[in-house]
Amino acid sequence: MANYLVLPMMRNLATKSWSAEQWLLGSIVLALGAAAGIWLVLGPAPAALPYLIGGALLTTSLVVAVVMMALVGRTQRRMEAVLHGRAKGEERAIAALRNSEAQWKEVFEHNPVMYFMVDATGTVLSVNTFGATQLGYTVDDLLGQSVLKVFAAEDQTLVQSNVAACLDKIGQTHSWEIRKVRKDGSLLWVRENAKAVRRLDNQLIVLIACEDITERKQAENALRQSQMYLAEAQRVSHTGSYGWHVGRREIIWSEETFRIFGLDKGPSVKFDTVMKRIHPDDRARVQQTLDRASRNLTDFEHAYRLLMPNGEVKYLHATSHAVTDALGGTEFVGAVTDVTARKEAESELHEAQTNLAHVTRVTALGELAASIAHEVNQPLSAVVTNAAACLRWLDREPPNVKEARGILGSIITDGNRAGEVIQRVRAMVNKTTDQKTPLDINQVIEEVVTLVQHELLSHRVSLLLELGPDLPLVVADRIQLQQVILNLIINGIEAMQSVTDGPRELVIRTRDEGARQIVVTVRDCGVGVATENADRLFDAFFTTKPSGMGMGLSICRSIVDAHGGRLSVTGDAGPGATFQFTLPLHQEESAG
Amino acid sequence: MNGQPASPTSLASAEEPTVFVVDDDASVRDALSNLFRSVGLRVAVFGSAHEFLQSKLPNVPSCLILDIRLPRLSGLDFQAELTKADIHIPIIFMTGHGDIPMTVRAMKAGAVDFLTKPFRDQDMLDAVTTAIERDRNSRDEAKVLSDLHALFAALTPRERQVMALVTAGLMNKQIAAEIGVAEITVKIHRGHIMRKMAAKSLPDLVRMAQMLGIGPGSAGSQT
Repeated sequence: MANYLVLPMMRNLATKSWSAEQWLLGSIVLALGAAAGIWLVLGPAPAALPYLIGGALLTTSLVVAVVMMALVGRTQRRMEAVLHGRAKGEERAIAALRNSEAQWKEVFEHNPVMYFMVDATGTVLSVNTFGATQLGYTVDDLLGQSVLKVFAAEDQTLVQSNVAACLDKIGQTHSWEIRKVRKDGSLLWVRENAKAVRRLDNQLIVLIACEDITERKQAENALRQSQMYLAEAQRVSHTGSYGWHVGRREIIWSEETFRIFGLDKGPSVKFDTVMKRIHPDDRARVQQTLDRASRNLTDFEHAYRLLMPNGEVKYLHATSHAVTDALGGTEFVGAVTDVTARKEAESELHEAQTNLAHVTRVTALGELAASIAHEVNQPLSAVVTNAAACLRWLDREPPNVKEARGILGSIITDGNRAGEVIQRVRAMVNKTTDQKTPLDINQVIEEVVTLVQHELLSHRVSLLLELGPDLPLVVADRIQLQQVILNLIINGIEAMQSVTDGPRELVIRTRDEGARQIVVTVRDCGVGVATENADRLFDAFFTTKPSGMGMGLSICRSIVDAHGGRLSVTGDAGPGATFQFTLPLHQEESAG
Repeated sequence: MNGQPASPTSLASAEEPTVFVVDDDASVRDALSNLFRSVGLRVAVFGSAHEFLQSKLPNVPSCLILDIRLPRLSGLDFQAELTKADIHIPIIFMTGHGDIPMTVRAMKAGAVDFLTKPFRDQDMLDAVTTAIERDRNSRDEAKVLSDLHALFAALTPRERQVMALVTAGLMNKQIAAEIGVAEITVKIHRGHIMRKMAAKSLPDLVRMAQMLGIGPGSAGSQT
């Protein structure tokens, strides 16, 4: 502070005029000269010598005084010059310092970082303008206040412990993320870097720099939420996601994928670990699929099973999409869904359908009971009558063995015929599971026709079989196929019940229409199918018959579907309806 | 074999009773044929009613064995058809299973018997024997009636008129008054009638009149 007062005076003294000392010295010499002169002039007249001596001394002292004045003046000017030079240097240094301080002050005040300097008790010693403004305060609002003022009540303990941690290890930087409260009560997220230092006056202070990370925090939260939604969606849908980098042989899984595979969560997965989980029966096929995919680098999807350590089998369906990364490598990104529950439902549905098919088959056979009874009874009564006749031929005198032998032959034939009918009925009543074998469709049709023969006769329906010769074999379940044909025939017969003015003709036709399938057509000339019903005809419980259950055609369609074929109806060509179904050819047959 | 339908000519020339079998099932036809042949009956079998109607039937005592469920034309319809065509042949029905309404209908329509398959051979043979016997009787009756008709046809209109009145129980005097002739003339007519009709007595003539369906009311129309 003293410098500030002295420097301006020194600057004012920087002049070529005489200094006080010079003036003083001069004044003394002048005073002495004046005194001597007065004494010489006015005093008693001295002798000439003393007078001369006095005059000489006076003159000498005048000269000395002048010389001295000159010397003193020079020394003083030199000193002034030195002082002046020093003052200039100091002035420049101070200006530079001031400049620098102003700059740093600028940085400190307006750098988009909030700076706080607090003492050990948390009182704010200093804060920058930016910091205060960010929080909606002025600097003066905060100075001398507890720093806790800008924190939420529930975070204050954390602040205190953080400050304590800083004070505990002086000089070490600590950082943390915390919320701050603005003057208006709104919150902002900051990341704080803090360090305790000991000031020159030995006071402990904590310097804190904090950066607003609200946006980052919001983005993070949004990301976390989105990840949570994704994870939740994956968990709910039993669908996991994965990335498979072909070149790096790197597999990355989502949490759900780990859960599906029953493996502990990790950053990445080993290829072999995955393969070990895959059902042994599916492993080769999966390997093949993946090999092909890694060669072709095209999208693929496949289904396979997992065999879990507890013996549980899971059914999975995976879809992969090929993505080219920035480096030109290919990565498959995909989703894998646990479809076990669906599979189980499907198999339960299938079982229910099988049961229902069985019931309707038995019902259909029940409807045919009279027909079947007749079919068995005819050969049976022939056998009984023949046997009686045979006895009578043998009882004759002499016995007619030739006749008897002939009749016995007939008995064997008729007995076998009755047996065959019963076997056929029993096969249809049996609850069979799918047994697909290569079949001759014509033979299957002929077997059904024997069962309905009498039904046809009693309803006066003439059946026309237009069976294509030398048809290739189809792969089908014989009983199910018979059920379909049986149903279509019975439907045809019933549809023609109202026909009184024309022939009741039912035509069954089989053809090889190419496209590796056989087409079976059952055409009647009955009431036909109303267009508005055509779509619903195959729906379960849809029936146009007063006593119908409405399951027949629905089951027929599901059977045909299960065989890879299609059952359809056309009713527009003239009277009657034409039901048609296709069956794919036996593979070997079609290949050969 | 014997199961094949016999030719109409061979049947026509035969005098022995014949059993006709109509069934769509060849096994049943053959078996029945075997049974009847084993007891020495002549058999002719047919696969359908149509086949039977097409063939010329022999004029011998016979019966028809019909499956009640026949293709196209059912046994019952066939029965009605035969009646309509004035073919009176005793019918024995066979059915696969007891069907009471059908049985009732068949019996009402004049079926001799109704057998459920499989039947006892003896039941069938008994039914056939009864049916043939009935046919033989009705054939005999028909013969007598047709003879009577021939005799009646030989009468003059006046004689027919007198016969009706006589068989109605009127005395000669009443008849004479009725038709406006002398009593002696009535007597002469009566003599002629008795002779021409080969009636042994008045009750005999009355029975003939009954068979011919002649009454006093119908006398006029008989001319």
